[in-house]
Amino acid sequence: MNLTLPRFFWNEYRKRRKKAALITFALFWGTLSILLLLAFGQGMSAQFRISFSGLGQTLIMITGGQTSLAFEGLPKGRQIRVYREDIAYLRERIPEIQVIAPESYNNWPVSAGGKEVNRGVHGTTAEFALLRSQVPQMGGRFINADDVAQGRKVVFLGWSVARDLFGPADPIGKQIIVNRVPFTVIGILHKKLQDSMYQGPDADQIYLPFSSFSMIDNQRYLDRIHIQPREAGQSKLVEERVRVLLGRKYRFDSADRYALGVWNTIEDSKEALAIFKGIEIFLGIIGALTLLIGAVGVTNLMYALVKERTKEIGVKLAIGARRRVIVQQFILETMFIFGKGTFWGFITAFNLVHLIRLVPVNYESFGIEAYLLRPVFSLQIFVVYMIILGVLVFLSGIFPALRASRSNPIESLRYE
Amino acid sequence: MIELQGIKKIYRMGSQSLEALRGVSLRVKKGEFISIMGPSGSGKSTLMNIIGCLDTPTAGDYTLDNDRVAGLSFDQLAAVRNRKIGFVFQNFNLLPYATAWENVELPMLFNGKSARRRKERVTQILNAVGLYDWRGHRPTELSGGQQQRIALARALANDPPILLADEPTGNLDSRSGEEIMDILTELWKGGRTIVMVTHNDHISARSQRIVRLFDGLVLP
Repeated sequence: MNLTLPRFFWNEYRKRRKKAALITFALFWGTLSILLLLAFGQGMSAQFRISFSGLGQTLIMITGGQTSLAFEGLPKGRQIRVYREDIAYLRERIPEIQVIAPESYNNWPVSAGGKEVNRGVHGTTAEFALLRSQVPQMGGRFINADDVAQGRKVVFLGWSVARDLFGPADPIGKQIIVNRVPFTVIGILHKKLQDSMYQGPDADQIYLPFSSFSMIDNQRYLDRIHIQPREAGQSKLVEERVRVLLGRKYRFDSADRYALGVWNTIEDSKEALAIFKGIEIFLGIIGALTLLIGAVGVTNLMYALVKERTKEIGVKLAIGARRRVIVQQFILETMFIFGKGTFWGFITAFNLVHLIRLVPVNYESFGIEAYLLRPVFSLQIFVVYMIILGVLVFLSGIFPALRASRSNPIESLRYE
Repeated sequence: MIELQGIKKIYRMGSQSLEALRGVSLRVKKGEFISIMGPSGSGKSTLMNIIGCLDTPTAGDYTLDNDRVAGLSFDQLAAVRNRKIGFVFQNFNLLPYATAWENVELPMLFNGKSARRRKERVTQILNAVGLYDWRGHRPTELSGGQQQRIALARALANDPPILLADEPTGNLDSRSGEEIMDILTELWKGGRTIVMVTHNDHISARSQRIVRLFDGLVLP
C-alpha cells in the first residue's frame, strides 16, 4: 500500500473512471469519425484520380475531321484524315513529343473455341501501352516493337473479351480467329478503373500489332494518333504545332477547330484535379468543424468533471495540497483520457479502413463501391489530428484545473 | 501560540458588504483547549477559517506560532495548514473515492514524507483511533462516528501542534460524540492546542475556556 502522488492520482482516476467514460467515448468517437471521414475522402479522391488516368495520363488524341473554313481556294466541308506517315512526320518536327503511337480500328467478328463475338479491334505499336495505361496481367505482355516489325500474328485482349471467349481458363498461348485470321494470345489487360473512353471501355477491346492489323484491313488512314508531350505543361503547345503542321500538309487553316478532332486529356485533367482538390478541401473543412464541435463537447465535459470535484479540491487544499498538485492531477487525468480515447479511435479507424478495403471492386459495372470502398488511412493526417486535438484537450483540461486550484478553499469546501 | 489582534472580515457582494468580524482579538496559549460559542451568524466559522489559514482577514494582525500569517502566498498558507494545523469538520470532508488509509495518508503525501514513515504513522494513528481494521474501507462504508475518527486521524497525520474542530460532534449521535470528545481530550492532555467551535454547552464544558462571539465581536 505504498502510495505516491501519481499512484494516488491513478487510484482516484480508476475509482471515477465510469464518469470519465463519457469523455473517453466522445474522444474515441470523434477520432474514429474524423479519421474515417478523411480516409474516405482521400480514398475517393485517389480513386477518381486512378479512374481518370485509366484512359491514359498526359495524353493528347488526334483524329481526322471535316474543315469548317475555306482555305487557299479550297472549299469548306472537306474530309481530313490522318495517316501512318504522319507519325514519323510529327515526331521529327515536334521535339516536345515524348511518345507517339498510331491506332487503327475496325469492328470484326472474333472467335475462339466455338464462341464468336463482335468486338472492336485495334492496330497499334508498343508505345500504346504507355500512352493508354495498358498494363498486362501476370504472365502476359503487351505488343512489342518486334511484333510490329515482323508483323507477328499476336493479340492482346481486354479482360472482358478474354472472359467472354475463354471463360475462367487462361487464354495466354491459345489461338483466336480475328476476321478469319488466326492470332495467338500474348497478354490480357490488367483490371483498371476507367472513367473516360472512346469505342467502349478497354476491357472490351482487342489489340493487334499495327503491321498485322494493316494486313487484314484495307483502310489506309488511321483512326487516331496518340501523343504524350515531354511535360504536361507543353500540351497546348504540342496541340497547336500538330494543327499547324498537319494544316500545312493537308492544306487546312490551323485555326479551323473542326479540321482535326483533338482530345487533350491534360487540359481536362486540370479541371478534374481542381474537383479532387475541392473535395479534399471540403472534407478538410468538415473535419475541422467536427473537431471544433468535439473540442467544445470535451471542454464542457472536462469542466463538468472538475466542477463536480470542487468539494474534493477544497478538502485537498485544506489539508495542505499545493496548487501545483491540483493542476497536475487534472492535466494528467485529461491527457490520460485523451490518450485512451484517441488510441482506441485510431485502432478502430485503422482496422475498419483496412477491413473495408478487402471488399472487392467490380470493374465491370463501375459501381459506386469503386470510389467509396477504397478509403486510404493516412498516418500524416492522424499525427496532425493528434496535435490539434491534443492542444485543444490540453487547454480544455488546464483552464478548469487552474480555476479549481485558485479557488478559495472555503468556498470549495462549502460547494455541494 | 495563536494571537489575533483587531481582526476584521468584510464580505462584499456587489454593493452590499457584510461585516462578519468587527475587530476580534484573541490569544490562545500553547496547550490550551478553548471553545468558541455563539449564535448562528455571530462569525464563529469565519473566525475559525481565519485561524485555520483557510481565509485571510480584511484587517488586523494574526500571528501563528510567532509567524505573521498576513502576506503569505497561497502555497505558503497551504504549507502552514499542512504542518501546523489539523482540521476536523462537522461533515467530516473525507475524500469519497479514497480508502480510510489513503485519507489519513494524504496530508503526509502532500509534504513529501517517505513511504516508510507514512506507513508507520498511518498504522499508528489508525490503531490509536481504533480503526486499523477498517483501513481498506471507503467513507461511505463507515458510520458517522467512524468517519469522524478517520477525519481526526487525518488531522493528526502530520502531528500538528494545533487542532481546529468545527462542530466535531454536530453530525453524530451522542455516544459517537462522546467518543470523539474523549479522543480530543486525550490529545489535549498530550499537549496539543485545541480550538473548537460548538453550539453544545455539554460539549463546551470539556474545554478550559469558552470564548463567546456575538455579532462579530468577542463578548467580554
